[in-house]
Amino acid sequence: MNAENDKSNSVVKRRSASQWAVAWRRFRRNKAGVFGLIIVLAVVFIGIFGDFLAPYPAFPNPQALTPFYNGDVRTPPNSHYLLGTDVLGTDVLSDILHGTKYALYVGVVVTLITMAIAIAVGAIAGYFGGAIDNVLMRITEVFLVFPSLLFILIFVRVLTLGAGVGTAINFLGINIPIGLTIVILVLAVFNWPGDARMIRGEFMRVRELEFVEAEKALGASNKRIIFRHILPNILSSIIVVASLTIAYAILLEAGVSFLGFGDVNTMTWGQILENNFASMRVVWWAELFPGLAILITVFAFNLLGDGLSDALNPRLRD
Amino acid sequence: MLRRLRAVAQSSMFRYIVRRLLYMIPVVLGISIIAFITMYAAGDPISLIKMGKPNVTAQTLEALKAYYGLDKPIPIQYLKWLTNIFQLNFGKSLYGGGSVNSLIGPEIWPTIELQVISIIIAFAISIPIAVHSARKPYSKQDLAVTSFSLFGVSMPTFWFGLILIIVFSFSLGWFPSAGAKGAAGFLWWGNPALDVIAHFILPVIVLVYVSLAQNIRLIRANMLEVLRSDYILAARASGISDRKVVYRYALRNAITPAITFLALALGSMLAGAPMTEYVFSWPGLGRQYVSSTLGLDFPTIMAITMLITIMTLLANLIMDILYVYIDPRVRIR
Repeated sequence: MNAENDKSNSVVKRRSASQWAVAWRRFRRNKAGVFGLIIVLAVVFIGIFGDFLAPYPAFPNPQALTPFYNGDVRTPPNSHYLLGTDVLGTDVLSDILHGTKYALYVGVVVTLITMAIAIAVGAIAGYFGGAIDNVLMRITEVFLVFPSLLFILIFVRVLTLGAGVGTAINFLGINIPIGLTIVILVLAVFNWPGDARMIRGEFMRVRELEFVEAEKALGASNKRIIFRHILPNILSSIIVVASLTIAYAILLEAGVSFLGFGDVNTMTWGQILENNFASMRVVWWAELFPGLAILITVFAFNLLGDGLSDALNPRLRD
Repeated sequence: MLRRLRAVAQSSMFRYIVRRLLYMIPVVLGISIIAFITMYAAGDPISLIKMGKPNVTAQTLEALKAYYGLDKPIPIQYLKWLTNIFQLNFGKSLYGGGSVNSLIGPEIWPTIELQVISIIIAFAISIPIAVHSARKPYSKQDLAVTSFSLFGVSMPTFWFGLILIIVFSFSLGWFPSAGAKGAAGFLWWGNPALDVIAHFILPVIVLVYVSLAQNIRLIRANMLEVLRSDYILAARASGISDRKVVYRYALRNAITPAITFLALALGSMLAGAPMTEYVFSWPGLGRQYVSSTLGLDFPTIMAITMLITIMTLLANLIMDILYVYIDPRVRIR
């Protein structure tokens, strides 16, 4: 009797844990996804320890920059400077390693804000429906239809006009660049609508399922249904979209910086490309390698996202 | 004749179009107000331009403000701007003081040329590739196509342009690196027509690759979804040839989202591809927008923003109308 009870208990337990375990097993079989995950982990490692790995110190504040900082300007790749030096005389490899943390900062923070707005809007519109859904979707459509890059450029330009943009705030011993943070906020504000529409669709789908109806019959509050029942059910889709959003945010920030709208005091990968653009005929290495860093990182997050999508939504692959 | 006109006016399609056009008016006004306030809230452009030029006298500044009408309160400025718009007058550029019309007028055509060519090529190629790849998912060919398109969406557009310039222009010297036309006496490939083509090739490659990659991913994913649906199975079961099933039945459903994408691309065409135009110094609206925004040339920014807004809304309307014909499930209300 007792033994049988134990046995059935353990079966139930294994079942409840299995959804993610099954997904992980499926993910592990996907070589491309695993490859993406490994590169992502490597990028995160460099993001954390890049400052110690870099052979030369970080790019100094340009205002304090003496010309020809290291003495060796525009040196092609050699044994001292593995990826050469750029027009300012800084080591390109070091710039890339130092810049990794900014790429991750951009990707992660933009995604967090984007997902927060998207989940709020998508949940309200998809769960309640009706007039409120109509209003929220009209607003979303306006955002979706317009070429957001142009609006991003205006907002970044206008918002970074103020004083103090070149400085950084010290938060728990980490320097947070203000200019880059403004860029991040603007990117997030223009990035949520697509994701909000996806989450709304998921909410509308799950809302109609029987277990939600059962919850309602039991008298559960809307808040409880949304947060405890529907949200966990669509978590897999949210994870996939988040991974792709990180990739997209990194690309977008690089573009904004390259066009000259970025934070000039923060050496993001896009900023390195922008600084050397005028002399690219000479310093091609300072354009090639930072771009490769962007490509590899974004590619890895996209691979990871596609792999997660295959693993978490198996109906798409049979 | 009159009766036919009346019939047209009473048709639901006509009423639908009129309603949509009327609905655009508040949207356009709203966007123009938001853009206007955002820009002018940043400070008045004259004092922004003055920054770092201490020698400008107060009198000169006053004269400049009066010239641009910036001495009046913002609501008045907005109304003045709005009445000018109805006469297709976008005001004066803050650089050089010439009219915005004469500044951006010549830049519209190069942007449209570049965009239309790239969008058409990308669409024409992407459909057969995506369909072919979706018919045998996870085969070697499909793997090649998906990695090719994944690279395309993972690559910074402008960086791809930079690499093309470094390789094909600087190293090999095959194509020009900048502009849309060679100067007289410096024509590429000897004659004016070939010269224009030479200037098009690299930017078109960049734009085509980017939208090709996005299209392929979109159409392939839809195609996979559609090919798994019951009606395709039914069609196969009734012995219709595979080719016909794919191209006649499945493609029609798989392609609708791609048409949305096409409409969006055409609608935002005037926005150009700011990064590509910037990299190739293309004399178009996208590059103008970048330099105007960097230089805080507010009237020019407003003009381009409004052009794009109206184009985008019109393209969306046309797309919605087309849907009625493409997708029999869509009804106008």
